[in-house]
Amino acid sequence: MKPTGLVFFPAFDWAISPTHPEREERLLYTRDQIFEEGIMDLPQITEYQPQMATDRDVARTHFCVPTVRDQATDAHRISCGGALTIADALMRGEIRNGFALVRPPGHHSMRVSHGNRGFCNINNEAIMVDYLRHRYNVKRIAIVDTDVHHGDGTQEIFWHDPDVLFISFHQDGRTLYPGTGFTNEIGGPLAQGYTLNVPLPPGTGDQGILYVLDHLVLPVLKEFNPELVVNSAGQDNHYTDPLANMRFTARGYAELNRRLAPDIAVLEGGYSVETALPYINMGIIMAMAGIDYQYLYEPDYDPGLAQESRKGMEIIKQIIEVLQKTWRDRDKLVENARNTREKFYQRHKYIYYDTDNVREQQLETLRLCPTCPGYLTIDSLARFASGFENRVCCVSIPWQACPICVRDANEHYEAIKKRHDRHEFIYLQDKSNDRFLRYECQTRKEFNIE
Amino acid sequence: MLVGIDVGGTFTDGVVLADGEVVRWCKRRTDTGRLQETIEAVIDELLPQGSGREVERIVLSTTLITNLLATGQLEKAALVVIPGSGLNPYELRLADNYYVLQGGIDFRGREITPINRSEVRETARKIKQAGIRKVAVVGKFSQRNPSQEEQVASIIHNEYPDLDILMGHRVSGELNFPRRAVTTYYTLITREHWSRFADEIEKVIRARQITAPIEIMKADGGTMSLDASRQMPCQTAFSGPAASTMGAFALTMDDKTSVVVDIGGTTTDLSFILQGEPLHASKGAKLGGRYTHVKALAVRSVALGGDSVIRIQDGRITIGPDRKGDAACFGGPAPTPTDAFNLLEGRKLGDPELSYRAMAGLVKDETKVADLARAVVEEFIDMLCRNIQEMMRSWEQEPAYRVWEIVNRRRVKLDRVVGIGAPAAIVIPRLASRMGCQGFVTRLSAVGNALGAVVARPTLQLTLHADTQTGTYSTDGQVKKLPNLGRIQMKDIKELSEKELKFLAEEKGMADYFSEREFFLEEQFNVIRGWTTSGRIFDVGITISPGVIKGFKGVKI
Ligand SMILES: [Zn+2]
Ligand SMILES: [Zn+2]
Repeated sequence: MKPTGLVFFPAFDWAISPTHPEREERLLYTRDQIFEEGIMDLPQITEYQPQMATDRDVARTHFCVPTVRDQATDAHRISCGGALTIADALMRGEIRNGFALVRPPGHHSMRVSHGNRGFCNINNEAIMVDYLRHRYNVKRIAIVDTDVHHGDGTQEIFWHDPDVLFISFHQDGRTLYPGTGFTNEIGGPLAQGYTLNVPLPPGTGDQGILYVLDHLVLPVLKEFNPELVVNSAGQDNHYTDPLANMRFTARGYAELNRRLAPDIAVLEGGYSVETALPYINMGIIMAMAGIDYQYLYEPDYDPGLAQESRKGMEIIKQIIEVLQKTWRDRDKLVENARNTREKFYQRHKYIYYDTDNVREQQLETLRLCPTCPGYLTIDSLARFASGFENRVCCVSIPWQACPICVRDANEHYEAIKKRHDRHEFIYLQDKSNDRFLRYECQTRKEFNIE
Repeated sequence: MLVGIDVGGTFTDGVVLADGEVVRWCKRRTDTGRLQETIEAVIDELLPQGSGREVERIVLSTTLITNLLATGQLEKAALVVIPGSGLNPYELRLADNYYVLQGGIDFRGREITPINRSEVRETARKIKQAGIRKVAVVGKFSQRNPSQEEQVASIIHNEYPDLDILMGHRVSGELNFPRRAVTTYYTLITREHWSRFADEIEKVIRARQITAPIEIMKADGGTMSLDASRQMPCQTAFSGPAASTMGAFALTMDDKTSVVVDIGGTTTDLSFILQGEPLHASKGAKLGGRYTHVKALAVRSVALGGDSVIRIQDGRITIGPDRKGDAACFGGPAPTPTDAFNLLEGRKLGDPELSYRAMAGLVKDETKVADLARAVVEEFIDMLCRNIQEMMRSWEQEPAYRVWEIVNRRRVKLDRVVGIGAPAAIVIPRLASRMGCQGFVTRLSAVGNALGAVVARPTLQLTLHADTQTGTYSTDGQVKKLPNLGRIQMKDIKELSEKELKFLAEEKGMADYFSEREFFLEEQFNVIRGWTTSGRIFDVGITISPGVIKGFKGVKI
């Protein structure tokens, strides 16, 4: 059997700040544990060195303001590059599956990036998905986000994309950052049902999470029939995590990965650096590589933790029912949206960057195309704590775009360029032709992002 | 006068170096069953009678350990592990008498699960009943806290004082429990054998009035004293290829990047000198098919040598991977690359007519024999090229764990191919021109390995892991209290590791080389709990890396 690919990139020389949860120490004990176990010496594991994501890789997914260089430091590019390296190894057929055990994380980064939010600047999984589509023509991909926080960035990036099924389960947004991820967030008008959120009650443990997996996630995945399954593998559901209140165990994580059998897992959050991460990371590697994990346990492991309260189970069952209905009705919902005969769909968004203290307002406009997911325009105004403001306009053409959307989006981009007094920067992201432009309004210069 | 002897699988080479010149050398067949007699004969051939007192240093590299492990004629030992949480410990089973005990230490040296004393006593009884005299005791994270290994060892010792016990933390302080278990186990089962061999060698040498220090070549390209080798016999494995690399280093002595190609009878060993520094393997030497904590140079052994069998299969030439005996010109049974070289380069070896006939047997048309010989050389070079390129690629793709290392990723640009071994003169110039770099072969290439042994200096390596929260540091198999220095900084930890290294160097009789030390690892982590710093963790590595002995400036080629 082919081995499991592993990129281990602990970024031992990078931190958001010296005492921040996202600091050098985060994967230190994980390093100690996996090195002491000698798991990289096993024939079931092949270790890879991460590549660096290029400007182009990042621009295929994000509108980095003002430039990719400003949002993606070397550390971000290597972390993201780790996911790309695993994707390459998988598509070359060298590995059966792979795990990018990397930091910094990415799942709170949205399409437009003015700064760091939820410890993330660029979205590793999303960039990897766009890379897989561009490079290997993979169409249908499912992302299962198991981080305790709602994967709001990934959700936003694939909101209008019916070929990416995004399922996030997380601690209820009423009790935890970022405060979103409710059952009524089900995707844009033409992709309804392809975003599913499972807000779990605080205190949910192995039994509850595996129940969601067996009764919702796995049946939905089976029906969606993706070419690839990606696990956005946050580890802050653990019973010792300092930032959240769940009761998931290392063996629960291993079991989840065994049943889900993701093709690619990418590390996201998880800040219990000593009592959780070393054991969960071992568990995920072992489960993916088909290695027996019955001897893996945390120092204070108690089998009683796995038991769910009756009330908790009831809430979980109700949520699953709601989501099963959404999933069943998805085609009808999309058809209704197309039949409104509106040409465009608009929504206002407000996005807060907690790490960098930026407030962003967006007006998002989607062409309700009869044949494709439609091109998207985002008018974004970011207000920084210093009082500095940045307004940009972003035009995004999806990978599956029809010729009319490609033409209209290009015309729209040219038209905004002519009214250059409103924005600082105007961007065109044409995923269908892999062409990415940045227009600087002040100098009236256009740059091809290479 | 310096003496170097390399005992290889097929041949034993010896050189005498005096005033930067190889004044004498010899080559003899190795008698694998009686190594000391082979060594004795080589010494007598190298040293005129009565000149023993002029010898200032004598260095040996041998395949004894590799042979011992390959033939399996070793005493039984029990392996007792304390694995704690993690991989299924029963899959590690590398001894028939393998016991898994309760207990557990974590990465910061905290006890997670205590040992069960009656289980240990019961295990000791089973070992005794099985008629076993040797016991290896190895725990996960024992290098961070050896107390459980010590408790288990002391219970076993109290029950049966005659058992020979070796604890894992005394063998290696590096992370990697399975490698520590393997290294401890192999050390335990080979050290008596090795000690007997060391005694005999010492007798042979002292009987010739040689009073100079006796040193043994290690897999890492350095040497150690014969006495030190009694504790760590596994480090002598693969010292042959290490000696060749050091031979190439001694012949060139600059900061260029070379691939060293040591062509033997059955195999060709490839290794690298990167900008003047021999390259080490990232995973340690493999013994009995398993990775160990034995630090070794990165050597790739290709099943391709001067005596490999040449065949024509489906119209294509294949060389090796097997050897059936000597080359045809020396009376061997099949055509070999040596025969091809013989026909192309002046027919100087053995009976060249035998080379011709063996080669002619492969082609219908006798006028095609010269073409065949040329094609064999081409194929030989092709195979080496492919392997060298693969080795370069895998080195470039070696994992790195810091942003800085990835951004400044190193690339290999080959300056030179250095040949070692008898067929080098024919192969190397062609190989170099194919690889677009310089070729380097000298008359000394044939004994490059023995030359490497004679000039290689002693090496030593030490890693130190300090944790200010627990107030301890561990190094060289011991856990000690950190000195009370207030807020401990990296510079304090570096000083501490220098002190430890100095002590070790003096103990091993290599204080002269302490000044050559370099740090190869400096990591510092703030331990943050609740947004404040509650301690610091340091990992520091310091080494006296491979090089040449003091006073050696190069050899007259
Ligand atoms: Zn999280
Ligand atoms: Zn369209």
